[in-house]
Amino acid sequence: MCWSLKELIAPEPVQKQSVVAWGRAGSGGEEGTKLPDPSDGVQPIVGNQKNPRDFDDKLGTPPGLRTGGEMANPVPSACCVVLAAVVVVYAQRHSQQDSHIQYERVGADVTMKCGSMDWDAAVTWTANGTDIDDSHLNGSYLILKNVDLTQSGQYSCYEGSSWHLKYQTYLRVGVPPKEPVLMCRSNNYPKGFYCSWHLPSPTYIPNSFNISVIHGTREMVCEKDIFPKNRCHIRYLQLFSTVKYKVTLTVTNALGKNSTTLTFDEFAIVKPDPPESVVAKPVPNNPRRLEVSWQNPSSWPDPESFPLKFFLRYRPLILDQWQHVELSDGTSHTITDAYAGKEYIIQVAAKDNDIGTWSDWSVAVHATPWTEEPKHLTTEVQITETTSTSTSSFMPPPTTKICDKGAGVGSGAVAVCWTAGLVLAAYGVLFI
Amino acid sequence: MAAADTPSATLRHHDLCSRGIRLARKMRSDVTDLLDIYVERQGLDASISVAAVDGVPTAAVERWAEQTGTQRLLDNLAAYRAFRTLLAQMLEEQRELLGDTDAELGPALAAMLLQVSAFVYHLEELLELESRGAPAEEGSEPPAPPRLSLFEQKLRGLRVLRELAQWAVRSVRDLRQLSKHGPGSGAALGLPESQ
Repeated sequence: MCWSLKELIAPEPVQKQSVVAWGRAGSGGEEGTKLPDPSDGVQPIVGNQKNPRDFDDKLGTPPGLRTGGEMANPVPSACCVVLAAVVVVYAQRHSQQDSHIQYERVGADVTMKCGSMDWDAAVTWTANGTDIDDSHLNGSYLILKNVDLTQSGQYSCYEGSSWHLKYQTYLRVGVPPKEPVLMCRSNNYPKGFYCSWHLPSPTYIPNSFNISVIHGTREMVCEKDIFPKNRCHIRYLQLFSTVKYKVTLTVTNALGKNSTTLTFDEFAIVKPDPPESVVAKPVPNNPRRLEVSWQNPSSWPDPESFPLKFFLRYRPLILDQWQHVELSDGTSHTITDAYAGKEYIIQVAAKDNDIGTWSDWSVAVHATPWTEEPKHLTTEVQITETTSTSTSSFMPPPTTKICDKGAGVGSGAVAVCWTAGLVLAAYGVLFI
Repeated sequence: MAAADTPSATLRHHDLCSRGIRLARKMRSDVTDLLDIYVERQGLDASISVAAVDGVPTAAVERWAEQTGTQRLLDNLAAYRAFRTLLAQMLEEQRELLGDTDAELGPALAAMLLQVSAFVYHLEELLELESRGAPAEEGSEPPAPPRLSLFEQKLRGLRVLRELAQWAVRSVRDLRQLSKHGPGSGAALGLPESQ
């Protein structure tokens, strides 16, 4: 793009221009560096009410440019003039004759007029600053056939000889919203419940969401959460009601709208968060036990009045099959049938004692039952610990002698004792 | 209130609350099964909405957490006395309609009536322990219902069973609140943040 020197030095006064800003409110004429997320409903902030003075104030006085006083050194002055001209041209290029955003469907044919220019006027169209080939022009109209997502961007039209900006628009190519996905759940019963939603596929343009909650004849307020944005919560005004709740979510964008409705009972959506702080520890001197403890989810407001029950599952890492234990109270459990020496994975889930559904599984924890430190063999009889019993009762450690020479029960008994000891020693050697 | 404060009274109170909770849970489980049988036998759609019916106690309550122990017991007693009358009516209507041919719904209704009667007795005991005494039943007797068509009878029966199921859950919660505090505590038993 070329400008004459005259224009650089003394550009045309900035005409009534407006600014489009993306992202943060109050950013004024600053061009956004990031487009809003199509799914977050963020609307572009259109600052077309701003007058050139406000816009200039936002830009500030260019550095080095003096508004009065003695004539400066001519060389820096020329630089400042050039710089000022560049700034003005930049403002021209990035401001809009009319603030305009145009939404079109993927696959549509789009015709853009160059403002009030006649059809046969000589114009130049640019897309994101790049000149558009004349083959896309019909007179001064820009024709875009079967638009796709890559054609979103800023389209500008300049008068042929003067390069005056005559029209500018931001084309956003997108699709109408599909039926949104809505979910409602009470993880803090009996305080209330929340509903959250998302679109199954992006629309590529901003969307707005509206939710209504009806209980019988009463319309309830769904207070939007700050985070995440696609969520709101409702306080229960009544408990134990047979009347169903009806939640309708409508999503709207510039190309269409869609909605979905959920109807449910108060009890049906109760689902606590998973238990927290799950800890599994070996039990000293117990090779088949693991002690597991956990806490109620912090989101559950009153576990004393609305107690939770728990479901514990565990398995050794080397096996696929889980063992399950349901616990009607308490926040701890001792596993007594663990395989000695094997690492276990353990998870816990929670449910209200009377209503609703089970939570998701907690974060998995790993633990290995206690094992004895390996001992050196000596000449004395070593009795190895057996693990073949089905009970988890405590077995005497190997150093415990089962024969006592001083027992004084008679020589026959002593002989039986020694025989038993030798048999056991042989058994132990076999397994070592 | 001296009698309500004795250790034996406290133990009895706790025992009555625990047994009451178990009884309410059993009622809830059985009424859920009974609802399935009822809907099938009466040819109704399980998802049908039935508006509130005069004389059928509604379990829905606002400010549940702010109720006193005594209020909970009185509300429960009034409700289950009404259910006892309603179930007896339903049983009579079933017998008139189907006689002895009904091998499933009639016995299930009779069993539920028995449980409800037992629960009424339980609540009366708890109120005695609260030293309040149970209110006379004559005063809480619902007025005689108007003569209903067969379809209206079926819908009313559906409403009765649905509300009974909700009441059973509410009773578990109420008794749990009661058991947290000793007998004779008529003060408000609320949640940390009111519902």
